[in-house]
Amino acid sequence: MNSHSKSQRIAFIALLAAAIVLIAGGIFGVVNRTSAAGEQMLSDMRLTALLTTAGEGSKEALVEAEVEAAREAARAAGGGLSEIKEAVAAAEAAAMERVANMTVEVDLDTVDTSALIPAVEDMLAAQRALGEQTDKDEAAYAEMMLAQAPAEDAAEEEILEEAPADAEAAMDMDMSEDEMMLEEEEPEVDMSGFVATEEMNALSAVVDEKFAGLSAALQGVSPDLSDAALETLRPTIESLLYQRGDTYETQYDRLNAYGNAGFTSWVTRYGDDLITVGVALALVAIMVFFAKPLLKALGVPRMIITCFFMLLCVLAVIYDLSLTTLLSNAVVRMAMNSVLVLAMLPGIQCGIGLNLGLPLGIVGGLLGGLLCIEFGFSGLPGFAFAIAVGCLIAALVGMAYGVLLNRLKGSEMSVTTYVGYSIISLMCIAWLLLPFQSDKLRWPLGRGLRATLTLDGAYRHILNDFLAFDIGSFTVPTGLILFMALCCFLMWLFSRSKTGVAMQAVGNNPRFAEATGISVNRMRIIGTTLSTMLGAVGIIVYSQSYGFMQLYTAPRQMGFIAASAILIGGASVSRAKISHVIIGAFLFQGVLTLGMPVANALVPQSTISETMRILISNGIILYALTKAGGGSRG
Amino acid sequence: MANKRTFGEWMRQNVVTVIFIILCAACFILSGETPAYVAMELVDRMARNAFIVLSLIIPIVAGMGINFAITIGAMAAQIALLWVLEWQIPGIGGFVVAALMTIPIATLFGFLIGKLLNKMKGQEMIGGMILGYFANGLYQLLFLFIFGNLIPLHTDGLVIQGSTGVANTMDLSKPNGIRKALDLLVRLDFVPALYLFAGIIAVAMLILYLRKSIPLRRLVVVVAVLAACVIAVQFPAVSEIFFLVKVPVVTFLVVGLLCLFNIMIMKTRLGQQFRAVGQNRVVANAAGINVDRTRVIAIIFSTVLAGLGHLIFAQNIGSLQTYGAHEQVGLYAGAAILVGGASIVKASNGQALLGCLLFHLLFIVVSGAGRTVFGDAAIGEYFRVFISYGVIAVALVMHAWSAVSKRKDPEAQMRAASEKA
Repeated sequence: MNSHSKSQRIAFIALLAAAIVLIAGGIFGVVNRTSAAGEQMLSDMRLTALLTTAGEGSKEALVEAEVEAAREAARAAGGGLSEIKEAVAAAEAAAMERVANMTVEVDLDTVDTSALIPAVEDMLAAQRALGEQTDKDEAAYAEMMLAQAPAEDAAEEEILEEAPADAEAAMDMDMSEDEMMLEEEEPEVDMSGFVATEEMNALSAVVDEKFAGLSAALQGVSPDLSDAALETLRPTIESLLYQRGDTYETQYDRLNAYGNAGFTSWVTRYGDDLITVGVALALVAIMVFFAKPLLKALGVPRMIITCFFMLLCVLAVIYDLSLTTLLSNAVVRMAMNSVLVLAMLPGIQCGIGLNLGLPLGIVGGLLGGLLCIEFGFSGLPGFAFAIAVGCLIAALVGMAYGVLLNRLKGSEMSVTTYVGYSIISLMCIAWLLLPFQSDKLRWPLGRGLRATLTLDGAYRHILNDFLAFDIGSFTVPTGLILFMALCCFLMWLFSRSKTGVAMQAVGNNPRFAEATGISVNRMRIIGTTLSTMLGAVGIIVYSQSYGFMQLYTAPRQMGFIAASAILIGGASVSRAKISHVIIGAFLFQGVLTLGMPVANALVPQSTISETMRILISNGIILYALTKAGGGSRG
Repeated sequence: MANKRTFGEWMRQNVVTVIFIILCAACFILSGETPAYVAMELVDRMARNAFIVLSLIIPIVAGMGINFAITIGAMAAQIALLWVLEWQIPGIGGFVVAALMTIPIATLFGFLIGKLLNKMKGQEMIGGMILGYFANGLYQLLFLFIFGNLIPLHTDGLVIQGSTGVANTMDLSKPNGIRKALDLLVRLDFVPALYLFAGIIAVAMLILYLRKSIPLRRLVVVVAVLAACVIAVQFPAVSEIFFLVKVPVVTFLVVGLLCLFNIMIMKTRLGQQFRAVGQNRVVANAAGINVDRTRVIAIIFSTVLAGLGHLIFAQNIGSLQTYGAHEQVGLYAGAAILVGGASIVKASNGQALLGCLLFHLLFIVVSGAGRTVFGDAAIGEYFRVFISYGVIAVALVMHAWSAVSKRKDPEAQMRAASEKA
């Protein structure tokens, strides 16, 4: 670490200093929120806003009064209708001009606020009480409604009743679109039948009373304010002072529109964001400090992806997205994809490189799942049955596939890709023709199997919900993670066994392995078969978490997604470890999961996250290929 | 040794073509389409697709396999098309402007692709394909977030109000579009067009023979085939098949020019270098050829030609899916050239044209056949995608297979060579 250049050291110190300032400011801000000073700040802002509103209101009242007076005068003078109109218009214009030159007095130092402050506080307290009561009563009402009618999964029904899309359109469909509907929707309750309760009525009477007090106080400050004007201003004032679900931030944002409240309150408002940015800067500083060893350990692409992931985390916090929920989703997606990514491992280890022919295994898993639904199995036995059947099919296919690949040493990757693609399009025909009978599987009209099959009543979420528990808004899918760990552990055990060691020897150096008496072809077949079987298990795990099985062209890109994940994790096309699988699955899925909401916050309604997925997933494979090709085969 | 086809390899290559001919015939009979309709569609599709299939030849000769990165050439063409639409240049003028714009853009892209593929020698095909996917991401960035936002577009219909980026469809058929700009320049019925092209080909062959570029036998065979065609259309039974056909003469002339270009360039020094590099990079390098540079040039040619080919495709179709039209270009062109009997190390104009013909013949009749056999046209659609992928997979398997067995078993190769002799 003594090889730091001067600029590196300067950058490190500057970044660290900036980070410390930001974090200190942020902590000050966050602490300030709950302290008396913060409350005072907010109260000042509230008064400013109130006085501004009242001032504007009194201006309007003034104009109104002038216009009324002019109309009276004109009528008294006995003019015709048009003359009255003219007079009124002239008076209005004159009054407007006069009012425009009037400045609204909102300087808190000069205005006498002694009567106003307690009035505002009373009003605020009353409104808060009403709001809380309303929240409570509405929640109770919603619960009651829910208990009466069990919520239907309307959204899911909709997906399944879609008519069979015409084949050409279906073919062009990319899986990515469907992949994003992971988040479950909260059951919605019809609130139109809700009526205010006794307590609420009582509290709103209190609010009325306090508003009268506030009105009096306001009139004391700006005498022009008429009662009628105050009545029209009432909704504005009420929403200015309090809205349901208020936090410091929302109040600040609302009140800040009435005049900037200064730097300190800005720091208070953005305290949490300042801390986030500060922590991020500190991390960057540390990364700059350890740039060389980190680069060596992670490699350029993994470094970039890691930085990108952290950037997304920071952006998520800044855009007030719930980072814990997002991370929780990311963990679920990591775990549900992990077995598919793990399937890449034996392929790389036995020397066939990235098994882009993973769809072969996936098709096996899908068939297992289909048979499970067809025979009406459900729950854990169904899940086990699907895995057993899937593995059986995948093992047979994988062995044949391994024999094929043994005859193609050196060009496995391009062949596997196209073999995978061919199998997917062949299965597209098969899905239309296979004689499955279950109504859950077939289109209600027309022929063939549905494009998206629900796993409700089969094994949907069987792993996700097993022993799952919440930490705050972070849901831990215990079963899923356990299953992932089990698969990784079994792979690890295998890699320690005699066969596993031999297989890795074949991948590392086939000639050496051959010389030591290992059958290269046999090991490659074992590796390919394992990879294909894990593909089958992987798709079943994936679909149980997703809740649906996707047929037709949906699995086409899954080999690529798994391959890019393991590469992001640090593997190359000839070397991979289990840690690469887990790190890669988390980073890749994390970037995807966080990418979409953040991208939507940046550019609403954009497909930029999809574009990002394409760039990351293919970019990393390209990078791996450039590292693998060139010299070695030159 | 790769250029000397062993008998086994020759058989294998032709097996694909023969199977395809049988498949086409079967589907044609099952589909129940009339010959006149099929002929009309086929001529249209040949005009549309032949150019882009021909653009694959040079990289194959240069030993880089099927250049799946031609999708990027198609993207270059679509960028050019967008601006021609924006500037509202109608007709053939617009087409020429688009072509002139495509050339520099595609050259740049080709240069970059070539540089990258030089880093993954031996994996060019998978690399080119993934590069195509990657470039598609960049293309989406360009069309969704740069064109229409950072660089404003003013023509109606290019940008949809309320959404970001260029609209999903580029419509070329408006009055100031370039739909059929090239096709409609000269259109003839089939018979006069046949006379015209037979004449041109005969004259060209004669010139080539006089310049001693081709042997006499070749000249005789070609002239005999042409004569047979001309005689055949004298029978009403034959000419009736083609009564619906309108031949876009200029488009086919352009395709013919490209064939000529492919032949001519192979006779130049550069062409020899392509060949040398394609046969053996090490030997070529030892002979003083700059291998990397030659490969980059091959890819540039291919990318530019693919871009022009995509323009021809676009003007024939008359509208483009902005975000989808380029995606399948590499797949369909690659499958077509393989169907014609090319392999990933050897290809000729004839194979490209034959492949294009057969592949698109299958496209025309397969959905009808699917409807007849399974009562569902969708099966035919899936089947043709399966065929496209399957043909490529089979060709790759065969090539890898023969390459491995050659490496393993030089004796077998010798035997095969002697058998051929």
